[in-house]
Amino acid sequence: MSREVLSSVVMPIAGEDDVVLVRRRVRDLAQAQGFDAFATAAVTTAASELARNALVHGKGGRATVRELNEDGRAGLSIQFQDQGPGIADLERALAGGYSTARSLGLGLSGARRLVDEFDIDSAPGRGTMASITKWKRLY
Amino acid sequence: MNRETRTPLKLDDAELRSRRAYFEINDEDLERLASLRAFGQTHLDDIIESFYRFILEHHESRVFFADDTSVQRVKRLQKEYFLGLFSGVLDVRYVENRLRVGATHERIGMPLRIYLGAYALYLRLLLVKLGEEYEPSLAGMHFRSVQKLVYFDMSLAVDTYIASYVETLGRHQAAIRELSTPCIRVYDRVLLLPLVGTIDTQRAQQIMETVLVRVADEQARVVIVDIAGVPVVDTKVADHLLKTTAALRLIGAESILTGISPHVARTIVQLGVDISAMYTKSRLADGIELALSIVGKRITQVAP
Amino acid sequence: MKGQGSIPILRVGSTLLATVHVELYDTVAEAFQQDVLLAIERTGAVGLIVDISGLETVDSYVARVLADTGRMARLMGADTVLCGMRPEVAATLIRMGYAMEGVKTALNVDDGLARLGASTGPLGKGRPA
Ligand SMILES: Nc1ncnc2c1ncn2[C@@H]1O[C@H](COP(=O)(O)OP(=O)(O)OP(=O)(O)O)[C@@H](O)[C@H]1O
Ligand SMILES: [Mg+2]
Repeated sequence: MSREVLSSVVMPIAGEDDVVLVRRRVRDLAQAQGFDAFATAAVTTAASELARNALVHGKGGRATVRELNEDGRAGLSIQFQDQGPGIADLERALAGGYSTARSLGLGLSGARRLVDEFDIDSAPGRGTMASITKWKRLY
Repeated sequence: MNRETRTPLKLDDAELRSRRAYFEINDEDLERLASLRAFGQTHLDDIIESFYRFILEHHESRVFFADDTSVQRVKRLQKEYFLGLFSGVLDVRYVENRLRVGATHERIGMPLRIYLGAYALYLRLLLVKLGEEYEPSLAGMHFRSVQKLVYFDMSLAVDTYIASYVETLGRHQAAIRELSTPCIRVYDRVLLLPLVGTIDTQRAQQIMETVLVRVADEQARVVIVDIAGVPVVDTKVADHLLKTTAALRLIGAESILTGISPHVARTIVQLGVDISAMYTKSRLADGIELALSIVGKRITQVAP
Repeated sequence: MKGQGSIPILRVGSTLLATVHVELYDTVAEAFQQDVLLAIERTGAVGLIVDISGLETVDSYVARVLADTGRMARLMGADTVLCGMRPEVAATLIRMGYAMEGVKTALNVDDGLARLGASTGPLGKGRPA
């Protein structure tokens, strides 16, 4: 099993336009890699949620978008990093339905359900790192 | 030999470079191999003969070379392969040739172990010939270069086999998927989805996607989901059905659940699953009637 | 009819038809919401059709704007139908746990108009004087 990174681009998330750019890039790459419509929508939406979180809650940060290949299987991974306040109660935030922004609080839990791999590291004062990976379906 | 043999795998420049680096094949190796071309030519026939003697001696490999013509054909291909070791070039075309050889063997159903055994034999034969021809330290260096390239070739063969297995698996899964989600058009803008067998999370997702696409394609107003053929309806299955209904509602279609047996009705209530969001009917016929009424049609009795 | 935003809002009898064909990000979404509500106020429309068949991605933010717009329009007397959501968008929203309960939906604009039914007649019909 070898996981190769075919390309890697760092994108800033400083304003709402950047969220749109990240989303667009993820969608374009997913399509270019031959993802089906459902997988494309899933990874694009998950990326959109995390980018927005980095902007709104994390006070801005950056996204690293990577094209992957694992033994011939195409994949896409996006890592979001911000230096914001971090998430105090990670478990609760991941469970869904919890929001400090009087929203529905479905972003984190939803994003997690939409992708194949989900990683998050956050603590008060240390900022937040969230990373998602989606693989092209084999059938 | 069919020149068009499809290789399920592609290797681009970057991948080729990194693989070359991993096998530590440097320009020196390639030059050395090129300088051995005359050596290769001299021993070509001899080595190929030994090679085929070995293959025909062993039952596992013999079965793949049943008739004489196939032996002749493969012999020619093997000669090409063997001389390719001494070409001194390792580019995308080289790789494509190697992949094609691998794909050919995979296609005739030769197991990977038999194929790998042949590489090992090549190396043994070459080691002997090199030892006869060169003084030990030089023979050793030559052999190292040959070995690097043969191992590189083996990695390509393994990858070809894997890629082809994955492709086959994918095809089978696609076929199963199609069979397991038959979506029947029973009337204009009315679809019937008769579910049969167990529904796990993966299948539930497939069902949802297939139905959504069909509904959008046909602009169906109603989907009748018949679960008479689903042996177990637990909380999970009920939840999947509810999700499918919710997704259908989002794109603008109604769903009707039919084929609910007394047993399933009891389970659903005892589990406390709320399916009040769905239209439900015990019999498929009633479901069809309800579906038709949604699209503004009615079944009526006519005089005999 | 054109407001601040880039989303055209068309009047068909007593119904407004908005076709969302651009990515709905924050400013566009807010302008859209504002334009729709002003148009309802100005025309006294009793129905609102929002055609989202051109939307490829709907995240929780956009979904909320769409659902909220419908609720606000409803408060102003315009029944709202969301039309033409794509299969992959629906599947994604459901997987995220966002079922948009209470929002009326239709496969396409024709079906949406049919769902609004009587309210597509001459302007003002069915509205208290
Ligand atoms: N990058 C981040 N930095 C700091 N806090 C975060 C970050 N991401 C999420 N959170 C916290 O986790 C909570 C849940 O996030 P989630 O995305 O699920 O909901 P939301 O953003 O509040 O609402 P929604 O995404 O549904 O509009 C947020 O309210 C916030 O408190
Ligand atoms: Mg969020």
